[in-house]
Amino acid sequence: MLITELKPRETIASLVDGKKVFIINCIGCKEVHFPEKEISELEAELSASGNVTGIMTTDYICNPDNMKLRLEKHAGEIEAADAVLVFSCGVGVQTIASYLEEKAVYAGCDTCRLPGFQGVTPLEYKCDQCGECYLNLTGGICPITACSKSLVNGQCGGAKDGMCEVDSSMECGWERIYRRLEAIGRLDVLKCPTQVRNFATDDEVSAE
Amino acid sequence: MENYTKYKLKKNDELLSLLDGKDNLFIIACNKCFKKFETIDEPECGEFEKLAAENGKTVTGSARVDFLCNKTQTEKKLQDMIPEGTENIFVISCGLGIQTVADLAGKPVYAASNSLNYTGYHGMALTERKCDACAQCYLNITGGICPIVDCSKSLVNGQCGGAKDGKCEVDSSKDCAWEKIYQRLAKQGRLEEFLNQPVQLRDYSKVDYKYVSNYVKSIRENRLDGYYGGVHPAERKEFTEHLALKRFPDPEVVVIPLSMHAGAPANPIVQVGDTVQVGQKIGEAAGFISSSVHSSVSGTVIAVENRGHATRGECLSVVIRSDGKNTLHESVKPHGDLDSLTPDEIVEIIKEAGIVGMGGAGFPTSVKLKPAKPVDTILLNGCECEPLLTADHRVLLEYADDVIFGLQAMLKATGAEKGIIVIEDNKPDAIELMKEKTAGYDNIEVSVAKTKYPQGAEKMLIKRTLKRQVPQGGLPADVGCVVGNISTTKAIADAILRGMPLVERVVTVTGERLKNPGNFIVKIGTSTKELVDYCGGVTGDDVTFKAGGPMMGFDLSDLDVPIMKGSNGIIAIDTDHTVEQPCIKCGRCMDVCPMELSPLYFAKFADEQNWQGMKEKNVMDCIECRCCEYICSSKIPLVSKIKAGKTAVRGMK
Repeated sequence: MLITELKPRETIASLVDGKKVFIINCIGCKEVHFPEKEISELEAELSASGNVTGIMTTDYICNPDNMKLRLEKHAGEIEAADAVLVFSCGVGVQTIASYLEEKAVYAGCDTCRLPGFQGVTPLEYKCDQCGECYLNLTGGICPITACSKSLVNGQCGGAKDGMCEVDSSMECGWERIYRRLEAIGRLDVLKCPTQVRNFATDDEVSAE
Repeated sequence: MENYTKYKLKKNDELLSLLDGKDNLFIIACNKCFKKFETIDEPECGEFEKLAAENGKTVTGSARVDFLCNKTQTEKKLQDMIPEGTENIFVISCGLGIQTVADLAGKPVYAASNSLNYTGYHGMALTERKCDACAQCYLNITGGICPIVDCSKSLVNGQCGGAKDGKCEVDSSKDCAWEKIYQRLAKQGRLEEFLNQPVQLRDYSKVDYKYVSNYVKSIRENRLDGYYGGVHPAERKEFTEHLALKRFPDPEVVVIPLSMHAGAPANPIVQVGDTVQVGQKIGEAAGFISSSVHSSVSGTVIAVENRGHATRGECLSVVIRSDGKNTLHESVKPHGDLDSLTPDEIVEIIKEAGIVGMGGAGFPTSVKLKPAKPVDTILLNGCECEPLLTADHRVLLEYADDVIFGLQAMLKATGAEKGIIVIEDNKPDAIELMKEKTAGYDNIEVSVAKTKYPQGAEKMLIKRTLKRQVPQGGLPADVGCVVGNISTTKAIADAILRGMPLVERVVTVTGERLKNPGNFIVKIGTSTKELVDYCGGVTGDDVTFKAGGPMMGFDLSDLDVPIMKGSNGIIAIDTDHTVEQPCIKCGRCMDVCPMELSPLYFAKFADEQNWQGMKEKNVMDCIECRCCEYICSSKIPLVSKIKAGKTAVRGMK
C-alpha cells in the first residue's frame, strides 16, 4: 500500500508539452491516498489544450490481467497519443510501461513510503522488516522505528525531558520502552546481553 | 502466485531462550496476508505450540487471526480471546501484528517470528514489479524501468560498467537494469532525450516519514469516522445536482408492475377494457407485508400480463393507455391537517396510498411506522450516498416543506419525540435550506454527516447520528429508531395534504455516457427507454445501464422496463471490463465492510458451496452495499456470491 503525491506542475508540463497524451488514473489505493482532486484539475487544463486523446480512470493497474482488458478498450486513443501519462504509484507506472513497451510512459506522481505498508491498513505502527524482530526485548515497541537512531541496546542519553534529541517533537523510543516494560513488570529483560544487528540482505535472511 | 508471507518463525535456539522462565502462554498467529487464500491453519502456530509443549510449558490456548494489523478488528477479537491464567502472549506475525497486540493486550507480548523484508513489493496485486517509494519517481527518464529497484546499485545516472554479457556483476542471474533501460529507450527513439538529461541526484530527504505519519493518522481518523469501514467512490453528482426538477412528458402507455415492494405482489382489481383515473387503486395489497398499487394516468387498461421488470425479470403488470387528460379519481382528496388525524389514521392513509420505501428496498412504510418497540427518534436519510444520484437532493431543495410535513406525520404516527434530517456535507445548499426551514420546530433538527458511502444504510446512519448499534439481525426499532427516505417522506405529505397516492416520483437520469442528464418527476410505469431517449440517448457503444446508482443499482440488460416506486435513478455508465482473479488476501474488503464482516471468506465459501461456513461468518448480516466488491483488487463479484450464499442459508432453515 502506497501513497502518491502529484509531481510539480512544471515537471508534468515539461513531460507532455506539445505532445498528444493519453492519461491513466489508478484509484485502487484511493482509500489510502490519491491526489484525486488535484489530478482532475490538471486533467481539465490539459484537456482544454486539446492534446488529450483520452482519459481512463480505473483501479489496480498493478494487476496486469485486468489492466490489459481495460486498456484494450482504449487502443485507438493510445495509438493516437505520443505519450501515456500515468497517475499511480511506481508499480502501476512500470506495469503500464512494460505493457506499452513502445510508447513513452510517464509518471505523474511520486510515490512515498507508507509506514506499515505490509499490513492491511495504514497504521500508526511501523515495521522496518529488519528480519530479526526485537519486539520481545522491548515490550512490543519497536526500537528500529520508534528510536530515531534505531538503537537496539537502550537510549543514547541525548533525550531531553523524554523527547528525542534528533526530533524534539518525538518521544524517546527507549523511554517508551522502559515505561512499557515497567508497566508489564518486565524490566528484567533490559539485562539481556547486547544485541547485534544483522544487516544481511533480504535474500540471505529469507534463505536461512 | 507469489507468496508474500511477511514473517518467519524464529530459530529454535532463540525461541528456547525466549521461553526460558516463562509459562502459561497464549499464542496468537496472524493468518498471513498477500498470498494465495487458503483457510487451512497456518503451520507455524502448531510448530511453536509443539515446541512449547515439549519444553513443559502450559499453553493456555491459541488463536489464528486474520489481519492482526487491522487494529479495530483485532481489538474486538482480543476482548474475550485470552483465557484466565495467561501470563505471556506470543505472537507469530509481522512486526505490525506484534506491535498491535503488544499495544492492546496489557500483558507481556513476545515476538516468536521475524519479519521478512520484501523490499519494494507494494502493488495490491501480487506482481513482479517493484517500487521503492523513493518519493522522486525516475520512471519518466528511464522508459518506465525503475533504476532504484532493478539496478542492484540503485544507480540513477547510467550503468556502472560492471555488467558482463548483459548480466549484473552483483547478481549474475539478473539482467543489467541499465541495459534494459537503454534498449527500451532506443526502441522508443528517446536516447537523445535521455543523454541530454542533467545528472540526477537522489534526494534522501524526500522520504518524509513525519509527513506520511501525520497523513496516515488523519486518514485513519477520517476512515473510521462515524462508523467502521465504508468507501469514497467518485461522486460525479455535478452532472445533475444543480438541475431543477422537470416534469417528464406524459407517456402514452404506462406499465405498472403489481410488485414494486417487499413482500407479496398486489392482486389486480381491474380488467382489460376498464377505464381508470389518476390515483385509482388498480392492485390490492395481498397481505401484511405488501402494498397497493395505483394508476398514474387516466385511460384504459389494455392488458394485465407479465412484463419486463428491472429487478425480478418479469412481473404481472397492469398496462394502461393514457387518454392524456390526467383526470383525477374521486378518491383523491385532502385528508386535512395533522391535528385532526390520529396516529392510526395517518398510518392507514399511508397504507392506502401504497407508500413503500422509495430508496429501493420497497418495505411498506405503514408497517415500518407501527414498530414492535417504542421509538424515540425518526431519522430521515438525506445522505443520498450513492454516487451520481441527486433525486433526494432535489426533493430536499424543491419540496422542503413537504418533507418537513411528512416527517411531522411520521413523528405523530410513531409517537417519536424527535426527527433528525441527516444530510451529507456535499449538499451544503440543502443543509442550509433545511436548517432555515426547521428553525421553528423544536422536535426537528438537521444533522450534517461527513460524506462516506454507505452512510444512507440505516444501520450506519443510526450509528453515525445516534451512536447506537442495531443488534445483529435486529431492526432500527430495537434501538428506538425508524429510518425514512426523503422521497418517501415527501410521498407521505402528498398522501395526506393532497390525497394523492404514490403514482409518481423523482428520478435522476444521468451517467457519464448519457447525453443530457437531468432530474425528472416521472409517472410510475413510464418506460426507462423513453427516459433515456428523452435525454438524448447515449454516446458511443458498450454502455452499462443501471436502475439505481452505480454501487447498489441493478444492471439493466433491457431498457424496456418501467419506472417503479423505488427507481431513484437510471444511469448510463462506462462498462468495466475485468475478469475475476484469484483472491490475494489483501484484506481490503475487511477494511471497508461497514458491517465488519470478512467478505473474502464469502467468495471462497461460495465457490466451495460451503453454505455452513457462510452462515458462521454471518453472511446474513451483509447489507449488500458492494463496498467489498468496489475495493476488491482481484475484481471478484462478491455480492453475487454473497446473494447465492444468503439464498442457500435461508434454505437451510
